[in-house]
Amino acid sequence: MKSLGLALAAAIAFVPMLANAHGPTRQKVTVTQEVSASPEEVWAYLGDFQDMSWHPAVHETNGSNGNEIDATRLLTLGEEGGPTIAEILYKYSDTEKKRSYSYRITSVKVETLPVTNYSSHLTVKPGEDDGTSMVEWKGAFYRGYPNNDPPEHLNDEAAKKAVTGIYEAGLKAVAEHFAAGN
Amino acid sequence: MRRTGIGAAAGGLAAVLSFGAIADEAFVTNQSSEDVSIIDLDTGDTRATVSVGGKPAGIALSPDGGTAWIVSPESKTVSGIDTAAGKVTRRIVLDGGPLGIAVHPDGETLYVADWYDAKVHVIDAAQGKAVGSIAVGRSPSGLAVTPDGGSLLSADRDSDQVSVVDTKTRKRVATVPTGERPFGITIHDGRAYTADVGSNTVTVIDIAARRPVGRIRVGERPYAVAFARGRGFVTDQYADTVTVFDVETLTVIGKIDVGEYPEGIDVTPDGARVIVANWFSNTISVIDAETLDVVEEYDTGDGPRAFGLFIRETE
Repeated sequence: MKSLGLALAAAIAFVPMLANAHGPTRQKVTVTQEVSASPEEVWAYLGDFQDMSWHPAVHETNGSNGNEIDATRLLTLGEEGGPTIAEILYKYSDTEKKRSYSYRITSVKVETLPVTNYSSHLTVKPGEDDGTSMVEWKGAFYRGYPNNDPPEHLNDEAAKKAVTGIYEAGLKAVAEHFAAGN
Repeated sequence: MRRTGIGAAAGGLAAVLSFGAIADEAFVTNQSSEDVSIIDLDTGDTRATVSVGGKPAGIALSPDGGTAWIVSPESKTVSGIDTAAGKVTRRIVLDGGPLGIAVHPDGETLYVADWYDAKVHVIDAAQGKAVGSIAVGRSPSGLAVTPDGGSLLSADRDSDQVSVVDTKTRKRVATVPTGERPFGITIHDGRAYTADVGSNTVTVIDIAARRPVGRIRVGERPYAVAFARGRGFVTDQYADTVTVFDVETLTVIGKIDVGEYPEGIDVTPDGARVIVANWFSNTISVIDAETLDVVEEYDTGDGPRAFGLFIRETE
């Protein structure tokens, strides 16, 4: 929530998102979090593409086609009428060997999240100790400004900082959810 | 043959023995760590890590294997790495947004696509500077030169087309429509194949006839295409797979799981192994072109892209 607020505050000028255009350097972010619950339990909490209520920044998830490939969802952030992110699911595995889903953003304003061509994997793996998990959230994206010489709030660092903030806030909330003894 | 010259230059029995052990090598551009990994494809060992700076992506090797030309979009620089020494010996500074690169069979002329300015730089390697430019479509990315040196092909990503350029006159002579957002382009046996990022297809172009003759549905967000054993191999960035198709029938015959966000792809000169750079995993996957199994995975630097032809023959 806080990080999204920062991202929102940081974006001043309106820059239209050009479909499929991007600067030449793709960025990547990986955040991992230990969770004190089994992979089955954690996946039951995180593994539904149609329910992102586990993330404190997400007010509402509205989508269609469940966890099928090409399922879509619209995330409303913060509050009723808040900024939105439209996403599409392109990989989904809920086998014991691999619990993971992958999606990409189909529409977001750079004021909401200063990235373009964003894709992401969310994976739940067994932790080091029995009954624990390791949650890994990975993102690949380009900065919000697709041309040379980006303004500061739409450069590579701004994009990485915003995505990292969202991942850390989300995964911290997941860890706290299970630490609270749910 | 190429080794002879290197061995003679280095001199000494130890050098000869050591060069005698050299296998084919991959020159992998690591965009995030801003360097190039030179990887022995028999052992997986990194012989050298060459710092180039400027977020390198595009790569092409000179026909004699002596120079690896590396394009760094952020510093707008083409770096020439002496492949035997593993050192940058040349620097050519450009403007705009250089990305893809191809070398003319004469070894003297380099072509560098300018992503922002809808043109291709023509560079004289000996002079070390741009000597001309060729107008093409929007956001040119992958480049390829026909084996006879007569034509340069540019994948014009945001024009959904390939530009065909006469290398003598440096003028565009035709455009050929592709699927959406062609990125990588590879020439094989009189045909050009584009990886169409937007439509998840490969477009097959008859170069002489200057028209598309086929389209193949591949995995999510294809990046580039390579050829071995009568098969085409396509990296599917979002699917974490390589799609394999039959070159005769243009039908898909398999999907191979590789690392995450596979991008650059090339083939060893004997056609036995296909090498894939996995951008997110920081590895290369080695695929047996016959069995279609991944037989090895070797470490690279951070963010390997290897956009272009990146394997050097050393036998």
